[in-house]
Amino acid sequence: MNKTMGVTVMAENAVQRQTILSLRETIARIENGCPPAAMPTTLAPDPAGFRREGASHRKALPLGIPPLDGALKGGLPLEGLTEIRNAETRDAGAAAGFVTALAVLYQQERKSKGHLGPVLWISQALAAREAGHPYAPGLKSFGLDAERFLFVSARTVKDALWITETALSVPVFAAIVLEIRGNPASLALSESRRLHVKARAGKVPLLLFRQAGEEEASSAFFRFRIRPAPAGERPLPDGSVLCGSIGHPAFHLLVEKSRAYASHDIFLEWNAHDRRFYPIDERRNAALQTNDQPENPVDPLSASAGRSRGAQPLGRLLAFARAS
Amino acid sequence: MARSRWGASWLSRGRPDHPPVVFVAKIDNAMRLVALDALAERIGLKRGQGAAEARAMCPSLDVIAADPPADQAFLEALADWCDRYTPLVALDGKDGLFLDITGCAHLHGGEKGLVSDMLSRLFALGVEARATVSSSAGLSWAAVRYGHVDVIAPEEADRVLAPLPVAALRLPEETAAALERVGLKEIGDLLEAPRAPIARRFGSLLLLRLDQARGQADEPLSPRLPVPSFSAERRLAEPLIDEEHVLELTRHLAKDVRSSLERQGEGGRLFELLLFRVDGRVFRVKAHAAVALNDAERIAALFRERLQAIHDDLDAGYGFEILRLAVLRSERRDPAQKDFSGVPDESQPLAAFVDKVSARFGPDCLMQAAFAESHLPERAGGFVPLRNIAAVMDAPAQGKVFPEGGAFPESGVFPESGVFPESGVFPENRPLRIFAHPEPVEATAEVPEGAPRSFNWRKTRYRVTRAEGPERIAAEWWVVGEDHPTRDYFRVEDQEGRRFWLFREGLYEREVTSARWYMHGVFA
Repeated sequence: MNKTMGVTVMAENAVQRQTILSLRETIARIENGCPPAAMPTTLAPDPAGFRREGASHRKALPLGIPPLDGALKGGLPLEGLTEIRNAETRDAGAAAGFVTALAVLYQQERKSKGHLGPVLWISQALAAREAGHPYAPGLKSFGLDAERFLFVSARTVKDALWITETALSVPVFAAIVLEIRGNPASLALSESRRLHVKARAGKVPLLLFRQAGEEEASSAFFRFRIRPAPAGERPLPDGSVLCGSIGHPAFHLLVEKSRAYASHDIFLEWNAHDRRFYPIDERRNAALQTNDQPENPVDPLSASAGRSRGAQPLGRLLAFARAS
Repeated sequence: MARSRWGASWLSRGRPDHPPVVFVAKIDNAMRLVALDALAERIGLKRGQGAAEARAMCPSLDVIAADPPADQAFLEALADWCDRYTPLVALDGKDGLFLDITGCAHLHGGEKGLVSDMLSRLFALGVEARATVSSSAGLSWAAVRYGHVDVIAPEEADRVLAPLPVAALRLPEETAAALERVGLKEIGDLLEAPRAPIARRFGSLLLLRLDQARGQADEPLSPRLPVPSFSAERRLAEPLIDEEHVLELTRHLAKDVRSSLERQGEGGRLFELLLFRVDGRVFRVKAHAAVALNDAERIAALFRERLQAIHDDLDAGYGFEILRLAVLRSERRDPAQKDFSGVPDESQPLAAFVDKVSARFGPDCLMQAAFAESHLPERAGGFVPLRNIAAVMDAPAQGKVFPEGGAFPESGVFPESGVFPESGVFPENRPLRIFAHPEPVEATAEVPEGAPRSFNWRKTRYRVTRAEGPERIAAEWWVVGEDHPTRDYFRVEDQEGRRFWLFREGLYEREVTSARWYMHGVFA
């Protein structure tokens, strides 16, 4: 009697576990990722080149920085939507730099396969007015093949979306950048889903560059937030650096949306000559920042500061009376 | 005027009960009659009469100010409409049209059939018109204004001309008046007169006009629009309203055009679709192609986008009765055969994409980078409308820029046109984004010629932690003139790591007393 009970309980457990596993797999499939149990396998692909069961179905472009590639589950997606945003208009230069760097990487990847890789940059006219037009010599010095760079300025978001969709159906571009200002209602979750599906079908990487935009639910694989970061100093041939100079462009990258369990942030430096990112040593960066403290530092005030119901600073009240 | 007031069918239904209508305009400081209707003519009014006098003769007169631009627009619309008969339509002054129907008449039931068809259609549209077919433009002009003949055979020319007044020869008013003064009232008098004394007395123009009317001197007509090299048209028994049907028919027309294009080994770059609406309005829809095309599907796809873009402006009304597809510009097209390597040609889909986008947003919407030999940042690089797709697709990466042998061309100019050589000045420190108009900032510097310490841009204060510069860029005196101030560019970084490109305009003590600062771009 007992035995049979045990068996049925076991069987139920097994059935439940099977159900849970299959549900997990379904979720993982929906999320285009890999099931949690199979995660390590994506980082160590089969040397024979066979795609393992349960491994990522995604084609990825590794950035060459192990912690970041780990958080991105192998690297940047080679097809589908990736969102890059910056919080303030004045940070648009940094974010544009990061997007351009990604475009350079995609272009390089495409060229290594023997295709020409034109990059299409679709920009809402308003975005270009607020944060400046792309500048061809600047793009060139950033490492982009400027002869294979097409630029479209669209008057409205709707026009920009139409051009993007048309471009996604053409298997020519190495990368398509869609630059939008803010969070327009005409580019909400359903539209981003549509773009994502089309980009995956067209096997094109689509970079949605949201200038001065808020965090918003989207179907992108990843959403990065770019903040400016102080650049390093110019290296000299003898190994030291030129004091007070402004070296390679640097970014503070926050991975806001990803399949990883925790958010991730990293300081990166773009080397246009090598056409790749390098991580910046954070300690050096911190040292740079403390060096550059303003003469009269002012604490940033939180939104609730000064109000009666604002949070009390820690340590103002003692929780317990002193023992002695 | 009558059409807008009484509807298009006023001619066929009979004129409503209305006082005589005259049009007046100011001539020599007096309001004079410039046009009048048949009823006004009947009560004895004349062109050139004063408006006050005419009012005195007929108090109920309806006087309307003349509107020459509207008349011109109407005449052009009529010329558009006449495109259905021949592509060679020329405007003649303010009230006439020349149609060169050489080789077209048989399509409309001969010359007589064409004239009667045209006149009855115009009558239905509410336009009073007269038409004459003859072997020369001058004779037609004379006959249509002063005679009453439909078709004049070449050998009848003199007989028709003889009784007409000399004014029918398109002469300046003084010449006509002078001829009448000496008693040469009819063209017939001139025909028999000796030529030399006439030329001496009245100028060579008179004889030229006479010869032109008799068909002895050539008179070229200048068509209003360029004549397409290839075209195909379809006349419909039942008018088309649906856009889908229009596109379907366009595809058929494109097939017709294709065969003639192929025979010449050419492909079209600029296409025009003419839609003749039942009520006489003509729509012209132009579409540019990025590469020379002769594929019917692609041509039809061009017009699909174009029609969607102009959707609201294209009012089908009661439908279109004639569709014509014309190739306005064509160029040599090398027929390419698909190779067996299996690598798809990438320029084809790109060209299709370019066509689609430019059909919808205009040909200048897609842009490509261009560089120039200049030190001024705004002139050194920019974007120009995409014209040459081959430049995008044929890459230096494929080793095409350097000619065989790998030597750099001595002239410094690359043989392939359209491929940008590595020209221009490319200093490393150029911003990623640039403002079309540099934005003024308030900056403070420690020393007048030095880098800024802090600056105000868009109502926010930025404190500069590091600065590189100055990079001094003098104005190009051969372009902008010598008194243009010099700029000192600084690359600065603020506390949070934003990098900007600022410049100070003007050199202290030499050019200006107080310099102004501008924000020109942002770095990554």
